[in-house]
Amino acid sequence: MSNPESAELLPFIVYFCAVVLLVATMLILSWLLGQRRQNKSTNMPFESGVLSVGSSQIRLSVEFYLIAIFFVIFDLETVFIFAWAIAFFELGWYGFFAILVFILVLTVALIYEWRSGALDWGVKTRTGIGES
Amino acid sequence: MMTPTELYALAPFIWLSVGVIVLMLQIAFSRSLNGACWVTNLTLLVALYSMVGHDPAGIQVTPLMRIDALGLMFCAVIICGSVVTSLLARDYLKQRPAENEEFFLLLLLATLGACVLVCATHVASLLLGLELLGVALYGLIAYPEKGERSLEAAIKYLVLSGAASATLLFGFALLYAATGTMDFAILADKLDTIQVNSNPIIVLTAAAFILSGLAFKLSVAPFHMWTPDVYEGAPAPITGFLATVSKGAVFVVLLRWFIDGQLYEFRGIILGLSAVAIASMLVGNLLALRQDNIKRILAYSSIAQFGYLLVVLIACGTLTESIPLAREAASYYLLAYIITTLGATGLLTLLSSESARERDHIGDIVGLFWRRPLLSLGFTVAMLSLAGIPLTAGFIGKFYIFKIGADAELWALMSAVIVGSGLGIFYYLRLVFNMTKNPRQVHALPQQTSLEGRSVLLLLTLLILALGVYPQPLMDYLSAIL
Repeated sequence: MSNPESAELLPFIVYFCAVVLLVATMLILSWLLGQRRQNKSTNMPFESGVLSVGSSQIRLSVEFYLIAIFFVIFDLETVFIFAWAIAFFELGWYGFFAILVFILVLTVALIYEWRSGALDWGVKTRTGIGES
Repeated sequence: MMTPTELYALAPFIWLSVGVIVLMLQIAFSRSLNGACWVTNLTLLVALYSMVGHDPAGIQVTPLMRIDALGLMFCAVIICGSVVTSLLARDYLKQRPAENEEFFLLLLLATLGACVLVCATHVASLLLGLELLGVALYGLIAYPEKGERSLEAAIKYLVLSGAASATLLFGFALLYAATGTMDFAILADKLDTIQVNSNPIIVLTAAAFILSGLAFKLSVAPFHMWTPDVYEGAPAPITGFLATVSKGAVFVVLLRWFIDGQLYEFRGIILGLSAVAIASMLVGNLLALRQDNIKRILAYSSIAQFGYLLVVLIACGTLTESIPLAREAASYYLLAYIITTLGATGLLTLLSSESARERDHIGDIVGLFWRRPLLSLGFTVAMLSLAGIPLTAGFIGKFYIFKIGADAELWALMSAVIVGSGLGIFYYLRLVFNMTKNPRQVHALPQQTSLEGRSVLLLLTLLILALGVYPQPLMDYLSAIL
């Protein structure tokens, strides 16, 4: 422990040990002193006191996920455009053309999504699949 | 602000990106496999042509990328590899009707990522390239719609690759904490002062994390577990792409980081790399012996090949003046490896293009010599080159490894290379023997593969032989530009 860095670390090590000790004491004490029951409802899932109904394996339409992913993508795009808009005057024409290219790429992606039927709910109308 | 010269230097990247956009619009309005294939190849050729006439001395474009001879040469190799992959993939995909056009979109994106990677001189561009390449590859590996094996392979690759990227990031974060820079060249100066002034433990830890992350992508032991499963599950053209373009690009960026950042001055890193190199030579070659799947054999063989290649990095540690030779050796070895592996997986792709099933079991090539003499000859040349038999490109590559290893007096590594090569001959020749077996099964199959697939394979075979018989022009060229 001659190294000054290790001396600085000492409080953290003590703290870490104290946390482990505290949690262990609490668990062991409650295990030793606590009561144990084996009823019909002991092992039932506890949902804020409400009995659970039905299966947890619900099948959701995949379109919900698709829309959620579109939201993430377009939301991120908005973030970038906002960042550019705040610094509009500082960035000048260089920034303008950069964001123009960015928006162009986004538009192409949107056209792709539209044409491949990702925006339709329910029955998909895709390009080329049935035709070719 | 970018000057016109810098924009001109970035031309290949810009063309590749434009190609991606055009291909996306084309898929949106008229889906056609042939159309997508031609747009892809046109893009790749335009990008290749836009590299002609660049200054080989190199130009730094923003702090992120350096477009120099090494980067341009490997960009060209990567683009040629993608051309081969896309030509072979067209026939392969025709056998598997589905929405196959996006395959080419992902292929172009992966190519762009690999090109960014070989020109990266900064941690940010390294990660950008790596992720662009990786994310496109997840899609490509899982491409066959109903393939359970490919889905399994893609999930394995996704999870493990994500863990490797996290390790890599953590390593770079530690390195940044220690040195305060993310640029490879500045890193070298900073490391010099740190090594003199205080203890280098944080740098060593960082380097260990970074090398583990990159070693995963290069699949050297002990980070090789994913390789056979992913190679086996991926569609045959992508197995070739993964083994050549993806690994080659990662090795080039490792070379840049390791040499520009002067990481070879740390004794501990060199020792660790030596252990990894010896382990992957032995593990790769020993585990390949009992495999019956050709893709798995190629996977284990690539583990061993990258073990040999690591000798080049280790040699920089003991012999600082051998660094130009190290670059030359690594470039030649990688070129030979890429051409050879593309040839070997190309044959598997051609065979798999004739049926809806992957023909990658050793039983599928029994008696191939009697059915497809020319193709089997090409495969034989590729196997001999991987084994390092004279008159093939692989021999010259291995010769470079021996030369640099002997110069640096790395005798333990050299003996591992010899043992590994000896073991390797067994399973490479086993494949060749299987092709000559059983001449009774001579039923002339209808030739279903297209002309360009076969001619690409023939061209690769001729290249392997040319680089093995007359390597002087390429060697002179490499030593002139690097």
